[in-house]
Amino acid sequence: MTQIAINAEIDNTSDDPRERELLVLGGRDFTSVTAAVANVAERKTTLGWKIAFAIAVFWLGILGACIGYLFTTGVGVWGTNQPVGWAFPIVNFVFWVGIGHAGTLISAILFLFRQNWRTGINRFAEAMTIFAVVCAGLFPGIHVGRPWLAYWLFPLPNQMDMWPQFRSPLLWDVFAVGTYATVSLVFWYVGMIPDLATLRDRATSRVKQILYGIFAVGWNGSCRHWHRYERAYLLLAALATPLVLSVHSVVSFDFATSQLPGWHTTIFPPYFVAGAIYGGFAMVLNLAIPARQYFGLKDIITIRHIENCAKIMLATGMIVAYSYGTEFWTAWYSGSLYEQFTFWNRAFGWYGWSFWVMIFCNAIAPQILWSKRMRTNLVVVFICATFANIGMWFERFVIIVTSLSRDFLPSSWWLFKPTIIDILMLIGSFGLFFTLFLLFCRFLPVVAMAEVKTVMPQAHAHPEEQDEHSGDEFRSDYRPDEHFRPQEKH
Amino acid sequence: MSQVEHHQSGVGYWRDLEQLAETPAVEEMMAHEFPGYTPGSMLSAGGASRRRFLKLMGASMAMAGLTLTGCRRWPKEHLAPYSTNPAGRMPGVPEQYATAWEFGGVAQPLLVTSYDGRPIKIEGNPSHPGSWTVKGKLGSADAFAQATVLEMYDPDRSREFLDRSTDKVKVWHWEGFSEKAGEHFGKMKGSGAGFAILSEATTSPSVLDMKKRLLAAFPQAKWYEYEPLSRDAEMEGSKRAFGKPVRSVLHLDKASAVVLFDADLLGTHPAHVRYAGDWAERRRSADHGEMNRVYIAETCFSITGTVADVRLPVHPGRIDALVRALAKRVGVAGVSGDEKLSKDEEAFVDAAASDLKGAGGAGVVSVGPAASVEAVALSHAINQQLGAVGKCVTLIDEPAGDRSSHFAAIAELVKQMTAGKVDTLLILGGNPAYDAPADLDFANALKSVKASIRLGLYDDETSKLCKWHIPRAHYLESWGDARAWDGSVGIVQPLILPLFGGKSVIEVLAMIAGDKVTAGDQIVRRTWKEQFIKGGDFERTWRRVLEAGVLENSASAPIQATAKAGGGGEAGNGAAATSEPSKGAFYLKFEPDSHVHDGRFANNAWLQETPDSLTKVVWDNAAMISVKDAQDLEIKTGDVLKLAANGRWMEIAAYVMPGQPIGVIGLPLGYGRTSAGSIGEKLGFNTYNLRASTTPYVIAGAQVAKTGDTYTLCLTALHHLIDKVGMDGRQERIGGKGESGRLVREATFAEFKKDSKSPHKGFEGAARLQLFKPPHTFNDTHAWGMTIDLNTCIGCNACAVACQAENNVPVVGKDQVLMHRMMAWLRIDRYFKGDAADPQIDVIHQPMMCQHCENAPCEQVCPVGATMHDTEGLNTMVYNRCVGTRYCSNNCPYKVRRFNYFDWHAKPPRNKTGVLYPGLPDQQQNDVDKIRRMQFNPEVTVRMRGVMEKCTYCTHRIARAKINTRNAGTDVKDGDIITACQQACPTQAITFGNLNEKTAAVVGLQRLDRAYDVLGDLDTRPRTRYLAKLRNPVGGGAGASSSPGEHTRMNATVGSESESVG
Repeated sequence: MTQIAINAEIDNTSDDPRERELLVLGGRDFTSVTAAVANVAERKTTLGWKIAFAIAVFWLGILGACIGYLFTTGVGVWGTNQPVGWAFPIVNFVFWVGIGHAGTLISAILFLFRQNWRTGINRFAEAMTIFAVVCAGLFPGIHVGRPWLAYWLFPLPNQMDMWPQFRSPLLWDVFAVGTYATVSLVFWYVGMIPDLATLRDRATSRVKQILYGIFAVGWNGSCRHWHRYERAYLLLAALATPLVLSVHSVVSFDFATSQLPGWHTTIFPPYFVAGAIYGGFAMVLNLAIPARQYFGLKDIITIRHIENCAKIMLATGMIVAYSYGTEFWTAWYSGSLYEQFTFWNRAFGWYGWSFWVMIFCNAIAPQILWSKRMRTNLVVVFICATFANIGMWFERFVIIVTSLSRDFLPSSWWLFKPTIIDILMLIGSFGLFFTLFLLFCRFLPVVAMAEVKTVMPQAHAHPEEQDEHSGDEFRSDYRPDEHFRPQEKH
Repeated sequence: MSQVEHHQSGVGYWRDLEQLAETPAVEEMMAHEFPGYTPGSMLSAGGASRRRFLKLMGASMAMAGLTLTGCRRWPKEHLAPYSTNPAGRMPGVPEQYATAWEFGGVAQPLLVTSYDGRPIKIEGNPSHPGSWTVKGKLGSADAFAQATVLEMYDPDRSREFLDRSTDKVKVWHWEGFSEKAGEHFGKMKGSGAGFAILSEATTSPSVLDMKKRLLAAFPQAKWYEYEPLSRDAEMEGSKRAFGKPVRSVLHLDKASAVVLFDADLLGTHPAHVRYAGDWAERRRSADHGEMNRVYIAETCFSITGTVADVRLPVHPGRIDALVRALAKRVGVAGVSGDEKLSKDEEAFVDAAASDLKGAGGAGVVSVGPAASVEAVALSHAINQQLGAVGKCVTLIDEPAGDRSSHFAAIAELVKQMTAGKVDTLLILGGNPAYDAPADLDFANALKSVKASIRLGLYDDETSKLCKWHIPRAHYLESWGDARAWDGSVGIVQPLILPLFGGKSVIEVLAMIAGDKVTAGDQIVRRTWKEQFIKGGDFERTWRRVLEAGVLENSASAPIQATAKAGGGGEAGNGAAATSEPSKGAFYLKFEPDSHVHDGRFANNAWLQETPDSLTKVVWDNAAMISVKDAQDLEIKTGDVLKLAANGRWMEIAAYVMPGQPIGVIGLPLGYGRTSAGSIGEKLGFNTYNLRASTTPYVIAGAQVAKTGDTYTLCLTALHHLIDKVGMDGRQERIGGKGESGRLVREATFAEFKKDSKSPHKGFEGAARLQLFKPPHTFNDTHAWGMTIDLNTCIGCNACAVACQAENNVPVVGKDQVLMHRMMAWLRIDRYFKGDAADPQIDVIHQPMMCQHCENAPCEQVCPVGATMHDTEGLNTMVYNRCVGTRYCSNNCPYKVRRFNYFDWHAKPPRNKTGVLYPGLPDQQQNDVDKIRRMQFNPEVTVRMRGVMEKCTYCTHRIARAKINTRNAGTDVKDGDIITACQQACPTQAITFGNLNEKTAAVVGLQRLDRAYDVLGDLDTRPRTRYLAKLRNPVGGGAGASSSPGEHTRMNATVGSESESVG
């Protein structure tokens, strides 16, 4: 294979099956990839990061103050009422859980499907997942009337022999989200071990050496380590894959198994999963587009990565839009007065505006991504992803609030209005998310260096076989790391 | 002696010689631990600011800590245990005492439940015909009567004798006051010139006896009586008809045709509990093929109007004409003039006359308090002509009928005061400075009286203007007696010593009159000995009266009186009254308010938060304006209107009221109080500002204008006129006028007779869909179930308040109602049916509480198992286990679950949400007011914040009955368990019982063809079933299904339908 002349302007977005496009640009070799990624964690703290962190921590503080107020005064500080017993906290919960889907999907499912481009973005997508699940996990815990007793939802052995009620989807939620959070965290951490070892080896201060050393758990890059690591990673990917589908399916059961018109529908599990992936990828894009710019990772997170994410958004956005249509059709076809009214009310009642925001953001806005020119235009993709995030938040708002506000008996119909605490806590949850995310960017390897290197052409250099080209690259079961020899890395 | 402030009377230990000498000055000092320290007035003077409060608190803490006051030891009081138990007394077992409450001069017979000496619940006296629904077993009391128990425990009630004769308010005490009063009145003895007494309306024999004694001691003293909502027209009308004041007692259980003119017999009439029960009996008989028909022509939508079969909304000027036209058609002699009636009026009067004549004496006409004297007189003539007197009308002598009309009395008093002829004014109860007609300017006149003494429950508007204020003992704290509507005499017996050391009316009168008998009980006994229990063993009879609360067979004897022709004198041609209002001019109609009546219940949080039956407004009043007028003037609910009449004006928020007559604005009285207490102050709009002594109920020719401001009215349900999508959705579920609805089923009586399943026509598809056999049937020995009869429910709120009192249901306050967080376990859904602009719109009331579904959607979604089914079918709620996910509420299709968003019992109801009132988790017991706590029913958990709650079918009453029957070795029989709502219901619309007991009433009712499950198609299998409503329109509702607005029921041909009247 001849050395390809590489320049920054190279377009790696074409999809010619005969040609395998480069996933790392800028003429990077292994050393410069390591340098570029490690530099993010090693360089001096920049002013920009400090400002961003200060803002994030400020909002985190607001969130904390709101929680303190909530605990001492009562959950009435939120705008929830009867009939709208769930509103912002649960909307935020489902929103954040949804965001948390992209990371594990990228790491696990795309890994199993041999989508090599995932390596550039999987690390911070996974980090995003963990932090989103943290945000998500916060809300169900504090939205309950007596938050100090929220642990009763866990099956803890106790002297009264009291167990949770296993028929309740909320309990399934506890298990689903709990499992998902645990597996995602383990998966993320295991995948990070080689890179942590790299940071340990490059560390210049004693403190860093010790801390990275602890977390690198003695990684020395031996053949045996790599072997065990790869097996473990594969197994974890296999374990995480069904969870991607299960967690949001179970979250959707909170609604689907109830009998409230607008909630009571069998389409929810696939529809929620598709929505979650749509929203999750949107969040990945919203984070990746500025991050690659700011951290100088344009060569590793290339336009091709952005475009691929945009394509997934388009596909899942279409599934979501289809589901919206199906819901209306089902409501009409059911012949049920209450179902029909709920959907008519959803579109044209009190909260009609929120429905149309949702439709615009989730069904109409992504259509622009059919155009490759638009998909590769960072500004367009960023705006489109922002719309998707707004749209997905409103989707949950529409489902939860409009259905509850008008159910069976007209005498109990009422509007929900958010209080200032609702709004502050929504913004505060972003404060929590970005605080964690900025800490991650500052101290951990934001790109999976070891994995990226496996998909670089250098990893597949076959000098002794140059004349008898195997054509491996064109095999359907080709794996970039199949000829991988770790010792060549050094 | 009060329980709260324990004044030491009679000196045992003394500190110095002055004290031993008991001089008044020292006594005053002694009465108070810290003389001159009056936290109430210190806080309220200049407004209770936080700063001021903290200042006082800080100072007290400093004093307690730095000086030795905190370490001071007061003499210890030793409490001795019950070494000998009072006979029949078991600690922890509730006891019930019969008593009565005088309300507007009429006794409401009551049965009060007392728990270890604390009255906690008020019900109707089952031994008194005025309140029994099942004789000897079940008594009903209305919402007001039930809520008076909260009034008694109101921490805002006045606790001190106040002396405002100087600039500085002095706190006094009874002994000092009586000494001073003795001095003052001693000088007047024998003359009483310049002495006037202003009393509330009363028929209490003891008060009247004391009045006689007082007037004997002060022969020149004048006694006035004033009540802002009185039945003067009725008394004056009967004087005109019979030549003497006569009261008519109706027997609606015997009446098959009832024609009412602005008479809210079921809602605001003093005997409405009895009347509602009797009316309901004639509704229930529909199941046996008989049904009454009620006609009402009214000027504001009333409770009776909502359940009347034929309702004609008219402006007040038409009432006289309608009565005259009816009188003419039934053949009353001496009625002249030919009334010009509109088409609707013609149809109404024709149909009513036809039914009345066809009823053969079982028809009755009644006219309300706002009507003219002529109309009342004529109604007597009509009843006589119909032969109703002796059948469904009993005439008795009006008790205390020798008084002049209330408005004449107060006008005369003000005249005397202004002329300087009143030096001493004793005001017994009432609140004239607030509720006297605005044209008299009573408050100003009062200022000129040298010695004004006020006996009042609160230090209110009137007391603030008087020189002396005496705290009044609540009727639950004092002895007294009263006459019920039928004239029977009952006893008012105290359930507790005065909490705040108040005095009753008779005690104050005795003191002033210098009577040698001064104790309340002795005064009452003396009266009874002299008047009622003359022969025989007094003590024995007295005990029997105390037990029953009423003297047997003491109802006034029916009198024979003949109404004069034409109702006595010329009925008047009424030319002025019958004229149409000129364009742009409105009638103003003053109405009692459903929350505060005339304003006296302003500080009663239960009543403030009990939704008005029709408007569903709470914590507010509003001007009712018709839909048509609102459209013409472009007024929406919540717009502030400026009303001007007779040179006075006021601003008030509008409520667009379907069914309101065009050209009439309904104004509920009693709001806009300025000194009502922490609950009732500065709420709503004071409509007394427009009221004049000459036109107390109706003002013609008022001007209405929009100010452009809006006001957020506090409603518990959406206003009728919501957005189009919502209105369509509601219409689909409720049905249009004359149609049966999916949620609220109804049929006309004629349809029902033909096909007893007719209310369910069109909803058969909503059958229970069952793919598998239900795994549980929940009928272990007992299977509890309930029925609610929509046919007899009048939406009177008695059940709602009963539930609140029984189950320690908290009040959330106005700002929280605006966020829709009411806690009422039992709500009454009110649906208007038909076109909003149709003045003859239909209304249906549907009480809604936990349905105790066998297949309960709430249970399966609770993650911690806090709501579970018990083996007898109760959907139980385990508060201790609840963490408050609110999922159960979301999944409840009836939306009857209620959530404690805050610690409601600790939160002051008027405290805004934004105000921080933090508390430690689950530490509510430290936060609730100590006096307020005394009212709680100890059998029901007081819920902490963060937990869900809902109707339990009064599970504690079930448990009590089961314990009692187990002890007796029997099983629970039908009627042993009465839920609180069932007990309060005057019409027995609610029935509870064991579905496994074949002979139980509830089983029979659940099997009626009228019975249906609300939302039964969801397969929730509710244990509460509803019985469809039946209406009995003229013509049998033949045209009822055609388009609304044509008043088809009214226009149906008259003559052939009288046979459908049972």
